[in-house]
Amino acid sequence: MANVRLIELTKHYKRGSEIIRALDGVTLDIERGEFVAVVGRSGSGKTTLLDLLGLLLKPTAGSLFIDDIDTSQLGDRQRAQMRARRVGFVFQEYNLLSGMNVLENVMLPLRYVKDGKASGKQRALELIERVGLTDRIKHRTTELSGGQMQRVAIARSMVNQPSLILLDEPTGAVDTETAQQLVDLLKRLNSEDQVTIVLVTHDLDLAGQARRQIKLKDGKVLTDEWLPEKELLPA
Amino acid sequence: MEIIRNVGRHKLRSFLTISGIVIGVLALTTMGALAENFNALIDGGVKYFGGSIQVGPPDGQAANLLPMSKIDEIKKVGGVEAAFPGYQFAAKPGGAIVVSFGIPDTIVAGDPDENNYSALKVTYAQGRPASASSHGEVALGSPIAHEFNKKVGDTIDLPVRPADAKPDFVNHSFTVVGVLNETKTAPDSFAYINIADGQMLLRDSLPASLQSSIDVTQITEGISVYGKPGSSLSNLDKIADRINSQVTGVKATKPSDLVNGFKSGGAIFTAITTAAALLALIIGGLSVVNTMFMSVAERVREIGLKKAVGATTFNVMGEFLLEATLIGLIGGLIGYGLGVLIVVARNTLFAPADGSTLFLITPALTIFAIGFATVLGAVAGVLPAWRAARLDPVIALRNE
Repeated sequence: MANVRLIELTKHYKRGSEIIRALDGVTLDIERGEFVAVVGRSGSGKTTLLDLLGLLLKPTAGSLFIDDIDTSQLGDRQRAQMRARRVGFVFQEYNLLSGMNVLENVMLPLRYVKDGKASGKQRALELIERVGLTDRIKHRTTELSGGQMQRVAIARSMVNQPSLILLDEPTGAVDTETAQQLVDLLKRLNSEDQVTIVLVTHDLDLAGQARRQIKLKDGKVLTDEWLPEKELLPA
Repeated sequence: MEIIRNVGRHKLRSFLTISGIVIGVLALTTMGALAENFNALIDGGVKYFGGSIQVGPPDGQAANLLPMSKIDEIKKVGGVEAAFPGYQFAAKPGGAIVVSFGIPDTIVAGDPDENNYSALKVTYAQGRPASASSHGEVALGSPIAHEFNKKVGDTIDLPVRPADAKPDFVNHSFTVVGVLNETKTAPDSFAYINIADGQMLLRDSLPASLQSSIDVTQITEGISVYGKPGSSLSNLDKIADRINSQVTGVKATKPSDLVNGFKSGGAIFTAITTAAALLALIIGGLSVVNTMFMSVAERVREIGLKKAVGATTFNVMGEFLLEATLIGLIGGLIGYGLGVLIVVARNTLFAPADGSTLFLITPALTIFAIGFATVLGAVAGVLPAWRAARLDPVIALRNE
């Protein structure tokens, strides 16, 4: 079975008497290790899809399976555990905790997993090394550049060895050169760890570097196409 | 660690919030210590008067004197195990009337054997009790010995001559034969002498025209009556009833009346002091509520992030509750520490001449002061923590 399976996944909001169909019966399979870009105009349902995949929202209808688990059957506590163990998030605004240093930020998700800290510290150190921030390990996040902060966020998203990483406009706050470096890093992690990556973006250049591109419009899948594989740039 | 860091994140705000708790706990500690000291005094009274029956002249009798023969009559009443005469005199007559939380220094004349029957037994830090047969011996309560800087073997003139004493003022030199251990209650301010010396002071206190016509060995100011050791309050009440019905010319007060009087006085005092202090502390607690709500408002994105990476409602609530509890605990510890400093300073560095203590720190007060501040912090954190825990992560993550 696919790593992520959406079956007629629907999310409606009520605004007064009007019903907003943010996501309207989306059916998709995403296999383990895929690198998927979700594109579309504002209001197309990209962010809603990401929030549903991240179990931050509950669907109005339909089913969402992650690693063969029907998440629609889960309670709040189990959904939180799923987020902690199987899903990693990277946000446009990094969302790092300014009072913590790089290592502490990367280790944050371990706090919510049983015995996470004991086994996770070594992995956090390895991830920091892989994102090229070993020399910044004790630095506060306020002492880092935008690109460095996003690298910390990427390391944080992987520290619990999730099967799915969700990225919301991950290069939206950095310059073009840094954006490309981040994309290369993501591609490498995707390739080396076989982690499934779903990124939401307005940036078509960035989306063009994914292996699969899903375009949404009015809450529905408009196109779902595979892109030719591009050579991974050296690190 | 993160919790401590969060408290230190806004130093001035945390300082002001903790200060609110500090002031409350400081008030609770000092007022509580005042109440504890008063209660220790009351407890002594309850113990003493709950174990004996006080017999005095009947209502309406002008002179506070009883014939000594009443002791033998009382001893014949069923249930009475022992009866002792007693006399009391102001140790420092003529002093200005001052409001005090203690009992004024008093010369108490009694039989040393009475200590064997009393529920409130005195023990000696130095020496022994004044003997029943010798003349001019005194055993001093610890604060009196401290006040007059007396130890065993020294002499002390009693009653103490007032500064404006008349030429006919009489006092006598007593040799200190014992110093009592501190009891935190009445015996601390007592100077114990024997019956014969008490009768001598009684004679001195009578008008000159009566001194030669009254045989002071045949009268007493009051009689303390004891049942069998371990007699219950209700048994002593029944004995008091029997004395009143069988012995004429005396009035036996039921011990339960005295005990209830002491207890209600202590309860009211404790209620007033504790309520005032708790009010101050609760106001401090409201500042914790305010601070925690501000903290939640400032950390909405952080809460959203934590939920996104796996924090449960319980995790988030726990973090904020711990933070509020820490504020309460820090405020409690500092407030209690300052309170103890004030109490110790008052009881030692600025102690009054009579050596009396005004405050008493007890383990119960310590636990209550620090515990209440900590619990108050936790309770104050419940609403803000609940609000934090219930935040929708989707909205929180995109909060500007």
